[in-house]
Amino acid sequence: MPNRSDIEALILESVRTLAEDFEIEALLKPTAESALYGNDGALDSMALVNLIADIEDAVSEHFDASIALADEKAMSAKNSPYRNVRSLTDATLERIEA
Amino acid sequence: MKSIVITGTRKGIGKALAEHYLNAGWQVAGCSRGDSSIDHQAYTHFSLDVSDEEAVIKMARTLKKQFGKVDALLNNAGIASMNHALLTPASTVNRILQTNVVGTFLFCREMAKLMRGTQAGRIVNFTTVAHPLNLEGEAIYAASKAAVESLTRILACELAELTITVNAVGPTPIETDLIRGVPSDKMDALLARQAIQRMGDVNDVINAVDFFLRDESDFITGQVLYLGGVC
Repeated sequence: MPNRSDIEALILESVRTLAEDFEIEALLKPTAESALYGNDGALDSMALVNLIADIEDAVSEHFDASIALADEKAMSAKNSPYRNVRSLTDATLERIEA
Repeated sequence: MKSIVITGTRKGIGKALAEHYLNAGWQVAGCSRGDSSIDHQAYTHFSLDVSDEEAVIKMARTLKKQFGKVDALLNNAGIASMNHALLTPASTVNRILQTNVVGTFLFCREMAKLMRGTQAGRIVNFTTVAHPLNLEGEAIYAASKAAVESLTRILACELAELTITVNAVGPTPIETDLIRGVPSDKMDALLARQAIQRMGDVNDVINAVDFFLRDESDFITGQVLYLGGVC
């Protein structure tokens, strides 16, 4: 079972790769506090969809876990799991542990 | 080799579609609640309920490892129940919506992710002429397919940026288990409302699906194609 830092490292790598592919300068060197979607987030909805699918693929490949990061709070400015790297790490860990 | 996912492949239209694409050299992944009825080296079967989110996600993960990508999805799996609305229990309503709407949605969601690398993903959903004809006795079935049509049009917009087209085909009655038990006078009345008044054939459906899957159909999305001249 991966721990929190394993998940965070995987998400940071996914964000970095996506930022290169989509040429998103603000996310080329992401940290746990990097805003992703909504408010100050640098991702548009298409980039977000790609990031989520990339992370699901990576979790399956690295940790042999089948998860979906679909979430009914996706569009919530306050509670969206996609708002930054930290919240996305929490959401991913929660699903792997479920 | 192109790969295609077809739901509801154990019998009827789904099985015929699977055999058609296997013969055409595609790699086919199918599913049904029961065991496989297709024996072919390029066919992979998953026994699952299409409305079981966890099972659909696991199938997608397996296909990612096995195929790497998915080129096309045919959301064929569906159930019907002919009954007067006042005699239809909620359990039947839930069962039909789960399979026809939730199942279609889950497969669209998970397989679209696997189409990201293809540059030309194709999704074909299945609706019915019972919706535009407002057939009595088909209230819940027709309503579920109306939802599938709405889903088709909106997903066409949402997935266009991923170069995935989303269309739907609406067959007329075809000799399958789905219409077994429908009284012959009801069937005759239904056929009379079609411009071309005959039962459909599985090849009519295959032809329409082939059209949506063609490379040249990359500018066609969000469309619902009814067979038999129903509009």
